[in-house]
Amino acid sequence: MNRLQHKFFIAFLVVPSFLILFAVVFYPFVYNVVISFSNMNLRHIKDWSIIGPQQYIKVFTEPTQPNFYVVFLKTIIWTVVNLTFHVVIGVFLALLLNQREVKGKPLFRTLLILPWAIPQYIVALTWRGMFNYEYGSINLIITKYLNLPAVEWLKSPTEAFIACILTNVWLGFPFMMVIALGALQSIPHELYEAADIDGASWWHKLKNITLPLIRPVMIPAITLGTVWTFNNLNIVWLVSNAGEPSDQTHILVSFVYKAAFNLYRYGYAAALSMVIFVILLGFSLVFMKKTKATEAAY
Amino acid sequence: MRQSLLSFICFAVLLASLFGGCRREPDLNRIVIWHQMRVDERVILEDQMKQFMAANPGISVEAIYKETEELRSGFIVAAIAGQGPDLVYGPSDQVGPFEVMEIIEPLESFFEQEYLDKFIPKGLTYYNGHLYQIADKLGNHLTLVYNKNLLTTPPQTDEELIETGKKLTISKGGKIVQYGLCWNYTEPFFFIPFMTGFGGWVMTDDGVPTLDSQGTIDGLKFIQDLRDKYKIIPGEADYNIADALFKDGKSAMIINGDWSWAGYKKAGINIGVAPLPKIVSTGLWCAPMISPKGFSLNTNVPKGKRPLVISLLKFLMQPELQLQTAKQLNTMPTRVEAVNSHFVQNDDILRNSALQIERGRPMPVVPELRAIWDAMRPSYQAVLGGSKTPEQAARDMQALALRKIKELNE
Repeated sequence: MNRLQHKFFIAFLVVPSFLILFAVVFYPFVYNVVISFSNMNLRHIKDWSIIGPQQYIKVFTEPTQPNFYVVFLKTIIWTVVNLTFHVVIGVFLALLLNQREVKGKPLFRTLLILPWAIPQYIVALTWRGMFNYEYGSINLIITKYLNLPAVEWLKSPTEAFIACILTNVWLGFPFMMVIALGALQSIPHELYEAADIDGASWWHKLKNITLPLIRPVMIPAITLGTVWTFNNLNIVWLVSNAGEPSDQTHILVSFVYKAAFNLYRYGYAAALSMVIFVILLGFSLVFMKKTKATEAAY
Repeated sequence: MRQSLLSFICFAVLLASLFGGCRREPDLNRIVIWHQMRVDERVILEDQMKQFMAANPGISVEAIYKETEELRSGFIVAAIAGQGPDLVYGPSDQVGPFEVMEIIEPLESFFEQEYLDKFIPKGLTYYNGHLYQIADKLGNHLTLVYNKNLLTTPPQTDEELIETGKKLTISKGGKIVQYGLCWNYTEPFFFIPFMTGFGGWVMTDDGVPTLDSQGTIDGLKFIQDLRDKYKIIPGEADYNIADALFKDGKSAMIINGDWSWAGYKKAGINIGVAPLPKIVSTGLWCAPMISPKGFSLNTNVPKGKRPLVISLLKFLMQPELQLQTAKQLNTMPTRVEAVNSHFVQNDDILRNSALQIERGRPMPVVPELRAIWDAMRPSYQAVLGGSKTPEQAARDMQALALRKIKELNE
């Protein structure tokens, strides 16, 4: 095969995927960047024009209700709390399931993956029903078995936000569990045997063998999980019924959705989504670099 | 480096031009409808489409369901890009934004005036002097639905409503097991009848919000009293909860729309439908918003195809078909002939529905309505959540509505 043929062969392999990427990633992305500098909205949807960075200025300065910075802070809390629980519960359950002594592992595994297998829409609406003040099962448990006063889950902003987080924690831990389980199963057993010979305790084995060896798998999973959680519109939107009460349960992505599709503010929403993109890009780059995620473990 | 960048740009431009040429050629024998009909309505539509296809060999009609919001945003995106369905079906308030965006076509030129006269006026939605939507169903309106096994005569006034509600709210062991009344507290659409009953309305004819009014304040206070003073409605209820309470026989009355009646019958509830009560202190009936649901024509439909699309529209609007739907779903037809039919005139539910439509107020079709809903929702919920007074809520609704309308029109 001469050089030219070789180049054609490479192009032949690359072009189909490039075409798809161009259609679904590059083109929409560039279009979004352009729109974010435009005045596209209800009154200027066909005759929009470039107006400079005004939409970005609006994102940071407009006295929206709720305010951009408040929503941003809530998004960070939402992401950090969710991810912490996802990883801790996921790794904990994976460690349990990885024990040789545990019987009926396939059954437990199937049960624990269930939250992930149910469509998010169903999960969100079921949990919303469970959080009802009077008829929801959560308040029934709280009042009947714990003898505590019922919580107004969906009526007050903080409780409604906690309700969204609880739902998403339930929904998100199976992913981390599956990833952690996969990573755990790939750790050579000889390492533990050697540690046993050296008289290492359970904690030492966890700290010096298990955690470092599942890290290369968990870091990309956490990065992905962060991006997904940060951008998880479904749960917040459906559990809080589009930001209820009083638009105080928004995270950035539901805030964008509302701006774009409720009030037809396409330029503004595009600028806000670019801000979200930059935040997530910055986070991913810094996180991957700091955790040295791309370096080999062995 | 520069060379590879240049070749990348050339490649991207080439690809972009390729994509530009990918626009699908319109199929002149295939009509596509996007709608937001619920399941039982869809079954009837599919059946009517089959009848049309049988009468017009070689023509295919396809109906695609989308949830109301998705339908709107999807249609806007598709139509702006020169694509989209031939007909778009939904409540009349979508006409406003679609007209402003110039994505639906004025319809008056396709029909003889004689034909349009066969519709009741509320069935034809005009905006800025043009006909943009022809409805097959009228209403989308709230009424008082009651369980006939629990009460025989529905209340006529707010005082009767409170009295009946008290009698029908039953406690056992300190816990309420049956409420007199319930409805969805989260959507301001359900607040409109109370607002109008106390003399309020959402906006002036030219789209200026009028939310900071005594009507809004008194309406909110009335709801607060129903819950906190008379205790005849639940402490918290969204659509699903209210719906479930009524279906389970745990609420004697519910304020809900015409879309819900068939479901209640199916659930085995012996329902009666009554107009919403009169507020004695103002002498006004609680007036829900009335909106027709119908078809608009996508502006991208090629001129040569339009007669075919209009023929389908005319087919679907036949009084016989409207009557068939009315019989199965208790919906109010828009053709005069169907409205005057023996069935519509004598069916108990439809007679009361017609009375409610008569007492209702047409939903404004201006795009500003969207901002009004968005402005009302947080404060309405805050009043019901106990974190705002009705006075404060009315002021905040107005201020937020003005700002959102400004944002909408910027």
